[in-house]
Amino acid sequence: MNLISRNRRGWRQCIKPFIAVAVVASGVATTAVIAAPQVGASSPVTITYLTHWGPTQVNMLKADAAAFHKINPNITVNFQAVPFGNLLSTIDTQGPSGNGWTIAGIYDLWLPALVDGGLAVNAPSAVASDVKAHWPTNLVTDVTKQGAVRGYPNEVDLYALNYNKALFKAAGISKPPANWTELVTDAKMLTVPSKGQQGFGVITDWAAGVVHPWLSLVDSDGGSLLTGLKPNLTSRAAMAAANLYAELVKAGSTVATMSTANAETTGPYLDNFTSGKTAMIIMANWWEADLQTAMGSKFSDVGAAPIPIGPNGTKSSSVSYSWLTIVNGKANSAKQAAAWKFLQYLNGPTSGKSGSSGMGDALISMGILPSRLSDVTAHKAQLNSPFLKVYVSELKNATPFPTVLGGEQMTDTLQTAIESIDFGTASPAAAMKSAQSQITSILKSANS
Amino acid sequence: MTAGIQSAVSFPSRRRGVGGRGTRRSRRLHEGRWAALLLSPALAIVICFVFAPIALTIWISFHNWSMLTPITQMPWVGLSNYRTIFDDPVFRSSLLDTLVYVGLVVAVTVPLATLIGMLLYFPRNRLKGFARTVLFATYVIPTVAVAIVWGALYEPSYGPLAEMFKAVGLSAPAFLSSPSTALVSLVAFNIWQMLGYYTVLMVAGLTLIPGELYEVASIDGAGIVRQTFAITLPLLRRTTTFVILIALINAVQVFDPVYLLTQGGPINSTDVISYEIQRTAFEYGLAGQASAMSVSLLVVLAAVAAILIGLMRARSR
Amino acid sequence: MSALGTTSMTDPVAEDRSRTKVPRRRRRPIRLSKVLISSAIGLVILFPLFPLYWLVISSLKSTHELLQAPPSWFPAHPTISAFKEAFDAVPFAHSFFNSFLYAGTATISVLVTSMMAGYVFSKYHFRGRNVLFWVIVATMFMPPIVTLVPLYWMISRLGLSDSYLGVVLPWLANAFGVFLMRQFIGDLPDELLDAARIDGASELRILWRVVVPLMRPAIVTLGVFSFVYYWNNFLWPLTVLETSSKYPVVLALYQLLSFNMSAQYENVVLAGALVASVPTIIVFLLSQRVFVQGIARVGVKG
Repeated sequence: MNLISRNRRGWRQCIKPFIAVAVVASGVATTAVIAAPQVGASSPVTITYLTHWGPTQVNMLKADAAAFHKINPNITVNFQAVPFGNLLSTIDTQGPSGNGWTIAGIYDLWLPALVDGGLAVNAPSAVASDVKAHWPTNLVTDVTKQGAVRGYPNEVDLYALNYNKALFKAAGISKPPANWTELVTDAKMLTVPSKGQQGFGVITDWAAGVVHPWLSLVDSDGGSLLTGLKPNLTSRAAMAAANLYAELVKAGSTVATMSTANAETTGPYLDNFTSGKTAMIIMANWWEADLQTAMGSKFSDVGAAPIPIGPNGTKSSSVSYSWLTIVNGKANSAKQAAAWKFLQYLNGPTSGKSGSSGMGDALISMGILPSRLSDVTAHKAQLNSPFLKVYVSELKNATPFPTVLGGEQMTDTLQTAIESIDFGTASPAAAMKSAQSQITSILKSANS
Repeated sequence: MTAGIQSAVSFPSRRRGVGGRGTRRSRRLHEGRWAALLLSPALAIVICFVFAPIALTIWISFHNWSMLTPITQMPWVGLSNYRTIFDDPVFRSSLLDTLVYVGLVVAVTVPLATLIGMLLYFPRNRLKGFARTVLFATYVIPTVAVAIVWGALYEPSYGPLAEMFKAVGLSAPAFLSSPSTALVSLVAFNIWQMLGYYTVLMVAGLTLIPGELYEVASIDGAGIVRQTFAITLPLLRRTTTFVILIALINAVQVFDPVYLLTQGGPINSTDVISYEIQRTAFEYGLAGQASAMSVSLLVVLAAVAAILIGLMRARSR
Repeated sequence: MSALGTTSMTDPVAEDRSRTKVPRRRRRPIRLSKVLISSAIGLVILFPLFPLYWLVISSLKSTHELLQAPPSWFPAHPTISAFKEAFDAVPFAHSFFNSFLYAGTATISVLVTSMMAGYVFSKYHFRGRNVLFWVIVATMFMPPIVTLVPLYWMISRLGLSDSYLGVVLPWLANAFGVFLMRQFIGDLPDELLDAARIDGASELRILWRVVVPLMRPAIVTLGVFSFVYYWNNFLWPLTVLETSSKYPVVLALYQLLSFNMSAQYENVVLAGALVASVPTIIVFLLSQRVFVQGIARVGVKG
């Protein structure tokens, strides 16, 4: 008895100094971190810009940063590029410490949660006036949360019906479908199973790719996704769009297994269009660069047209969404100030070529529509290309995708419902009903 | 390396009561000190970076947390997260997907490893060593690289697997592109990666079976099949249980291929639990719910492991 | 240990050569069974080799040839342009150095901590020893995703996010290593250690001079296993690191995958995958015999 308790005591006593050392060590480390000296306004500041862009565009931004550094030698801008699939989790994990990214390019759907979490700080008044003066009203509203401008809008994206003119010619169709009836007929005529050719392609495995084209059809039928915080998935327009998809699948004009997208939003659905196996697909303007690279000279076969109008719709209305750059509210004040200064430069008319901003130049190089009004003027020629022209003219009719808390989960849930219609595993009515109830509770708990 | 015959008496200090290092008492204290010292680095790391995070996960599961606000300000919600996730059809389906995935992996890999193990052990063949090496080599390749290769193999338009199906006149399955085949395609991926590892474990188990048993059986007139069912399989039971355990742990942890190739789709058919946890925490910002899912997973795993280990230990007695 | 008392643990690789001399398959005509068996073994070899073959030839194909449907089974004009592009697109070369640093540091630390802990668990006796051991081993069952969030939170609170130390710190010890070492050290006869103790050696000396030299197979096995495991680890560095100059090979590969959209870059991505696979394959081939035996031993003793 005695021996054993002596031994145990001895054991514990031996552990004690070790634990003490460990505690002291971590205490020292933490204090060192917390007590790190604040950097003054005139001492050198290094900030990090987080983006999902590829090397070409990142190099363009780096050149802009180098030019900015010449004017402001105290400020150094580093770039952190992560794959798109990883962007949100990087923002979430590395933002709160304040030592990670200072500037991040975000998708507007993520803004509400980031504002709530203190990661998207108010812009200073100089920046807010800049944004209000040089951007269209709907985009200014988009980046304003809780009464304050939160960042610079950069790209704006919307959807159009992309079609293969050569395949249309071969099928004897002279122009793209303007409404849903024509869409169904044309899709049928353009489906040639022996060639593995489908008339109307959809996208699966990627939330925005599934939901946005479908929602564009709903919007073009006079419907909408939400009224306030209530979803309208069992409304007339949503059901009509769901039934349209079911009809196309049933007729064999839409082959779901050709629709896969991978984590980087490319994949079989893209390859099938570029290789002429998909005659029509609703897709966004930014895939122009991918199309050009993949199709080479055959890119001239690609046509764009407004979203076909539904039986109860009066005009074509595509879904639109935008991206913006925000500044991390958890970073120290010197870093925040430096970040806003750089963003003002990057989005201003002096940083790019011939009156465009550096940001505008980078966006145009990817076939993306810049949003600053002066950039749109500066790049008039490129925006007038046969492909982009359609998108630019439809911008004024677009319906922005609602940016609400819980928006990500809502999109994923709607994706599941639409995919089950694509693969024929659920009837449109059942799928929409299930999505309606799930999304109602998701939005309710996210916004309570 | 000497052969492993355990000494009959396992308590050194009991045998050496006097001489050398003094009394029993000081021997134990001395041993105690060394035990603590030598054990502490490993113990400290495991406590800090395994047990503490597990405790934190359990703690977080009773709160709502978006990870964007300080952890000290999380609102308490009790069991509400657990209620939410078990009401959520997506979480329930991810449990089912995981169950199917793990079940398929274990049901296919373990018998296959046994068969191949026997193939690479009993017959006389010059290529056996090479086969074993090549088969095991798949285990050391980074999963990212394996996922990339299999993504290319599974390509519907210019992939070789689709081509091979067409060559024999069958229509190519949709592999990762269809909800009915995506999960199975990922199972094939896992089998390819891990088969060599489990086969090696099986072969090791086979070496424990004394050759005399086969000699006797063959003299008695038993054929290969009879010998396999009467001798090999029963005596492999302990190894088999161990391999099942290892395969189960490995299969439950699947994440990389889902993240890289399918993102849980199509229609959440490949939404295994680890992916669902990652998505809920990092995309939806619902770390509380994600932690509740993690805790549920741990409970299930603990139960299953306890059963299997119980089986294993029972066998050895 | 095995219930079949007298069987000692021998080398499974050499073992079966003696076994095949047992004449129990001579009932069947030799030729047919040999052919069947050879083809079966051939299939077993083909199974892992075919995807690796596809990996190699695809990375040697040109972009144009990649998009052919049906695919070609051998590159018509082999070229290494894909490799050049891969190295240009992401800091691949530097990432090898990073991986080596992460995996190497972790491996050395795991060996040291596991050896010490395994020694204590197998050779010392104290109350609660077995409970503590099995509790530690139980953590092997835990999917890493479960602790990802709090672990990241802890590391970033220590100010170690996006740092080499932040990546390596949780890797400095692991349960499998403790498990393996305890099994292997448990085989050493106590007399050996007691003899050294009588000679006046301190515990540390015993460990270093007596135990370690006899543990060479265990060290190789655990060393290779850890090195491969940490080299291939994807999720943790992905969560912790920000700067691409600190990325290990697997993250550089992931970057390569994402920045090369659409099918025509598949050869570049596959070239990257090939390059990324080479180091661990080399380590494996060099240590293959001892490593495979070691893994087998763990399985048997487990």
